[in-house]
Amino acid sequence: MNRIVRAITQTRELFTVAFLIILFLGTGIVNPSFLAPDNILLCLNGSVIYILLAIGVSFVITTGDIDVSVGATLGLTAAVCATMIRDGSSLIMASITALTIGALIGLVNGLGVTKLRIPAIIMTLGVNGLVRGSIYVYTEGKWVENLPAVFKSYGQITLAGFVNLFLLITVLIVIGVYLYLNKGKKGKYFAAIGDNMGGATLIGIPVDKTRILAFVLCGVFAALAGIIFASKIGFVTPTAGNGYEMKAIAACVLGGVSLTGGVGSVIGAMFGAIIMSSISRILVFLQFSSNWDDTITGILLIIIVVADALIQKHFKEKARRERLAARDLKALRAFEEMGGDAE
Amino acid sequence: MGSSNNDGNQIPAISIKGISKSFASNVVLREINLDVFEGDVVALIGGNGAGKSTLMKILMGIYQPDGGEISISGKRVNLSTPSAALANGIYLVPQEPMLFPNMTVEENIVLGFKEKRSELHVRLEALIENLGWDLKLDRKAESLSIAEQQLVEILRGLLRNSKILILDEPTSALTFNEIESLFRIITDLHSNGISIFYITHRLTEVFDIATRVVILRDGQITMEGSVSQFNQEMLIQGLLPTNYERAAKKEKVCKNIDGSAIMPLLEVKNFSGYGFTSINLKVYPGEILGLAGVVGAGRTEFAVTVFGKDVVKNGNVLLCGEDITGKKCSTIIEKGLIYVPEDRHLNGIYSISDVEANVTSGILGNFNKFFVDRKKANALTDDYIKDFRIKVTGRDQLTASLSGGNQQKVVLAKALATNPKVVILDEPTRGIDAGARGDVYRIINELREQGVAVVLISSDIEEVVELSDRVATMYQGRINHTFRGESITVDNLMSASFGVYKEEVPHE
Repeated sequence: MNRIVRAITQTRELFTVAFLIILFLGTGIVNPSFLAPDNILLCLNGSVIYILLAIGVSFVITTGDIDVSVGATLGLTAAVCATMIRDGSSLIMASITALTIGALIGLVNGLGVTKLRIPAIIMTLGVNGLVRGSIYVYTEGKWVENLPAVFKSYGQITLAGFVNLFLLITVLIVIGVYLYLNKGKKGKYFAAIGDNMGGATLIGIPVDKTRILAFVLCGVFAALAGIIFASKIGFVTPTAGNGYEMKAIAACVLGGVSLTGGVGSVIGAMFGAIIMSSISRILVFLQFSSNWDDTITGILLIIIVVADALIQKHFKEKARRERLAARDLKALRAFEEMGGDAE
Repeated sequence: MGSSNNDGNQIPAISIKGISKSFASNVVLREINLDVFEGDVVALIGGNGAGKSTLMKILMGIYQPDGGEISISGKRVNLSTPSAALANGIYLVPQEPMLFPNMTVEENIVLGFKEKRSELHVRLEALIENLGWDLKLDRKAESLSIAEQQLVEILRGLLRNSKILILDEPTSALTFNEIESLFRIITDLHSNGISIFYITHRLTEVFDIATRVVILRDGQITMEGSVSQFNQEMLIQGLLPTNYERAAKKEKVCKNIDGSAIMPLLEVKNFSGYGFTSINLKVYPGEILGLAGVVGAGRTEFAVTVFGKDVVKNGNVLLCGEDITGKKCSTIIEKGLIYVPEDRHLNGIYSISDVEANVTSGILGNFNKFFVDRKKANALTDDYIKDFRIKVTGRDQLTASLSGGNQQKVVLAKALATNPKVVILDEPTRGIDAGARGDVYRIINELREQGVAVVLISSDIEEVVELSDRVATMYQGRINHTFRGESITVDNLMSASFGVYKEEVPHE
């Protein structure tokens, strides 16, 4: 049993990939048309926004915090970007503005959590409300429509006939982030902080700075997702991105990023995001109502988090016991040496 | 001072001058002065709360001193953060290894360095080979034993070319062989000119590896010098309080209870669990049994396991002759045993509730079937406030707003409201003022008068001497001696707690 538990915890990404394959093949058995190349491509293309959100959220979760404001950040940045482009701004200017807004929201989250010591869930929940509200103020509650056709066409660009431009960019980003986190000098700081914050402080890692950076990166990735959202969907409603934070967090967790921090990879988060974004499509192919989408996401999230927590608790308790047992053994030796009458 | 290799004009590797530190009104360090030279292995000993850890945390940049200065190799330094301390060649190996369990050994060691990974890898391999250790770099830290984790911690320090290594009770979780290899390493480091602070509770170790001894008590250095000038008795003397008279007679007459005539209220037979082994104890009605020992001796683990909060490995607990081994806490409380935990903030009080809610929280079920009988609850609370002299504006005052001593009285009231037959008190007077301490002592003595069996766990040896009828000392998870009557002296208990008691006293 222990071995199985350990195997699962150490090959988290493989577990996610296996789950993805089983899910797709299973759906394919019930409805073979699901496995048509075109449909698989649609699933992958449809996951781009979730993947970007999940990358950002995985930074924050890896450091042991949480960010539930990414859905609203996506909505605001999408609205701002779309409005600017509709009013004649260049794509570059609109993107820079959106990314800056994302970074600022992340900075506010990060400062609140580290400097004011507000629990991350509360801080980002508050910011979520604030940002969502400002979308309504900014758009006056109206949809942002009538975007230039050029802007909306970016999502249709494919390379070599089938590789979607957005998907390509996203996969490249995932690889880049993966390399940064694993090979970069400071990449491991995020995981170290989530793994053992006291230990990280002790070896001189700038804990607060790194946590703030994680929130800023989370905001930036949410903004990038917002820009792509505006282009792909072609219009932005004030409710854009509502509930996406749950999908993004669930994607991370499903991909093996532990909510207790310190464990997981962005590759896993990517596969988790593909699963999350495919659920509604899978439901349709299985002839269920896609109304079940959120319910299933929620159930998956809870099951995985509970399982993860139980596994972690098990290891912690085991370590404590081993430690106390080691003390005992030594005491026994010491007693025998002293000729003590232990019994 | 008497360092073995101080020729008088050598510059100390680290020089501590007039370091003081207080937390709120609690003075932890008073004007500490200490020079440590290259290659010194300084054994830093002292009781609980003597200020050892605080001093080391100041060196590591975790705490800032209120006054004084620190110089390294003659240069004054400002250790404002751990990274500043690291940059100055100081490395602290904490008592509990602070590794990243989900990372490999190598990642654990090289994290936070500015150099290239490949260069670090070469240096690290050379270092390990040089030390002759067998440690696989690609193992995950969570799979390491505690000793191996400690090796990783030491490697971290060495790879940083640290000149000053602080080891905080490094042997507290090591097995015998592991301790031997650790001592070899320390000897190695010593000959390489690395200065080591070695915090320990084990006096025998001092003579095994230290070159110098520093004894801290109440935030002051009471004795200091080359290890050759010391013997175990002197170490014990240095730990004893200043105003304490050796032959101090006990004011209270100890009850000498004849075990054959009365049935013990609490009896523990061959009891083993995580952190303690083969404990045999009997506690009789109207008796206070002191349980002395140093931190980590296993006293709290023992008490918590008796109370049903941890797994029993072996043996039995009998309450009034009835077996309560492995029962749930709530059942055990119902049967008449209550445990008052050592950390009242963590486990003892509901700080955002009022005094009444706290006092009555353990026995709400007794007040009525469905709605709580307010009158009874009020009367009971008022009784306790009066009896225990709890200073409150009323029974509706928030517990969090009380002083530490009054909070502790509320915790006691809550526990005693259950009308227990056996009470286990874990550090009942830690961090409370003298007045409240007197009241707590009075409450404990009243329990004794009422025929309650009291187990008193305390690291304050004078307190144990003052209150107990009989004392058992725990050392490394076992009861190593028991004392009764005249033999209950601070001297004896201190020696036994540190595992160096020698006189012939029949062991129960």
